[in-house]
Amino acid sequence: MRPFIILLAGLFLANTALAEPVGNPIPVGIAVGQTTNVALFGEEQVNGAKVAEKLLNEKGGVGGTPIRLAFQDTGGDEAGAINAFQNLISRDKVVAIIGPTLSQQAFAANPIANQAKVPVVGPSNTAKGIAQIGEYVSRISAPMTLVAPNALKRALKLNPNVKNVAVVYAQDDAFNVSETGIFQEAIKSMGLNIATIQKTSVKDTDFTTQVTAILGAGVDMVVMSCLAADGGNMVKQLRQLGYEGIIVGGNGFNSPNMYPVCGQECTGVIVAQAYSPKADNAENKAFSAAFKDMFKKDPAQFSAQAYTSVKVVVDALNEVEKSSGKKVAEMDTAELRTALNAAIVSSSYDTPLGEIVLDADGEITQKTFYVSQIKVADDGKTGTMELLPE
Amino acid sequence: MNFVFLLQSFINGLSIGSVYAIFALGYTLVFSILGIINFAHGAVFTLGAYCTYALAVGDFGLNGLLAGMSLPFRLPFPLALLGGSLLAGGIGVLVERLAFRPLRAKGADPLLALVSSLGVALILVNCLQFLVGAEIYSFPSGIFGSLPPAMVFKMDGKVLAVRTVQIIILVVSLAMLLALAWFMNRTRMGKALQATAENPETASLLGINVDRYILSTFFISGALGGLSGTLIGASFGLAGPYFGVSYGLKGLAVIVLGGLGSIPGAVLGGLVIGLGEAFLPPDYSSMKEAVAFVMLFVILLARPQGLLGRQTIQKV
Repeated sequence: MRPFIILLAGLFLANTALAEPVGNPIPVGIAVGQTTNVALFGEEQVNGAKVAEKLLNEKGGVGGTPIRLAFQDTGGDEAGAINAFQNLISRDKVVAIIGPTLSQQAFAANPIANQAKVPVVGPSNTAKGIAQIGEYVSRISAPMTLVAPNALKRALKLNPNVKNVAVVYAQDDAFNVSETGIFQEAIKSMGLNIATIQKTSVKDTDFTTQVTAILGAGVDMVVMSCLAADGGNMVKQLRQLGYEGIIVGGNGFNSPNMYPVCGQECTGVIVAQAYSPKADNAENKAFSAAFKDMFKKDPAQFSAQAYTSVKVVVDALNEVEKSSGKKVAEMDTAELRTALNAAIVSSSYDTPLGEIVLDADGEITQKTFYVSQIKVADDGKTGTMELLPE
Repeated sequence: MNFVFLLQSFINGLSIGSVYAIFALGYTLVFSILGIINFAHGAVFTLGAYCTYALAVGDFGLNGLLAGMSLPFRLPFPLALLGGSLLAGGIGVLVERLAFRPLRAKGADPLLALVSSLGVALILVNCLQFLVGAEIYSFPSGIFGSLPPAMVFKMDGKVLAVRTVQIIILVVSLAMLLALAWFMNRTRMGKALQATAENPETASLLGINVDRYILSTFFISGALGGLSGTLIGASFGLAGPYFGVSYGLKGLAVIVLGGLGSIPGAVLGGLVIGLGEAFLPPDYSSMKEAVAFVMLFVILLARPQGLLGRQTIQKV
């Protein structure tokens, strides 16, 4: 008789462990790099996510139930991302994970979430193949194939006499290498001459050699695919050493971190953007106003993308609640995770990035991109990116 | 390859190499006295740069606990550099008190201090991020007064460019090296330090207060670290609380290359690595971090004791 009771009790316990309600508030995981050298981006992502939590909960959350963000620091490496994912999945029992910051972290950690059947939304992973990691993986960060040629066209409008171009790219960063390919094709198809190609590293700080080569080549436009810290330093050194022509930067330049690095020397740089705080859509206006209210500055692209990721999850949760007719907070966690993932993919969303569409794989198509010109304030540390007219 | 390119690389290498040298000297001084590496030296480098920034610019950024605050005064750059270095020296003393002295007092294995210094480094860097955020800070362009930002020369159709900050780095570093050489060889305190390095027991028998000299060494080492952090920061900006990590590793390569515990060795090692990096063609610039370690590998194969290191002879 006794073993039978134990068995029965065991079965009962196992059963309750399986059927675990989501709970109120609904936990959503944020796994981004808040320490190490990725913290620069992670800090912006955390800020964007916090604005999303506040704003979306004020709008009623998920059918009246608020969401709660559970933050886990991934650090800058793969092991940190895996730890953060595991904690969020088994300890915080989140319904979805937003993260990680870097693509190479995504390749390591996303398969774990995929196996556990927890939806992942990548806020800033731009490498090829992210959405193809698994059924439960999607991303809202778009590759920049369309915007690069646009930026060049606007630059030529400012100075139609440009003939010779110098191309600069950070060769150790996958995103910048693919972006420079797009830039170089566009330059050639516009009938311009690539006078010199200079390679740099995202870790570089001293660009005197590259700058002197560019000055020697006598170009009237420099097109750069770098990140904010290295690119900002190179812009500064280009200007300090006397380069006076046009500078066009890729999406890596679309960060307020440019301003403190190169100060006044940044003014006038043309930037290709996946997000602009000045974008004219209702979602963005609400988001950037709330962001400015909380943090006293314009949101960066990383912040807008983090906000967008949370918005995608909340919209999809609302969709699940509507179509199933059940309160999601009372649903079983595992069941909700699967239903949520099905709702995330193959849908379109209104976000601060404009309208975005996620296909059945979870791959993003973004409709609007922007081209702006940097204007640094007199303090040399803050600034704005003014949209250039079409 | 042409003459102008070689000259340009030489100037770039000399300037950056001289900072590597004074940074590495901080490691060397501690190593020569305690026989261990102070892994918190990279963190002191970073903190020194931020201290100078605070004194010279006074405004804090948009993230972290100090966001939006500013100091009521601004020091001119030379004074801020001095102040930042002295503060870094103070942090060096703090590192000694926290990571080294308690273990030494208990007679622990010197190797353990290596781990505790690593721990103190992590704490310092994370406190810094908590205070000022992970964003990039950089010195405004007018920091050197009315000096022009750069000089550009045209030589047979080629361009030779020297940034003012490169010259300032070179001059300050060389002045620091000379001052240190004078201090070590010509003053009583310098000689006492050398005696402590040679043999702490004997030094203490001769009436030298070893603990006090260890503390002074950490102060000088910290000040050198802070000074080099500021110089690098003035040239390239402060790229976040972690920007000292890669310089910390490079500094290690420099002292091993030059010969552990050898002061002229650290200087030579710094210049060799700085020049090596500068002569790397820009097409391979992503390999820059590897240069120091490849050179280290090659030179250690030929001279295991480093360029100017003393070979230890074991008498059996």
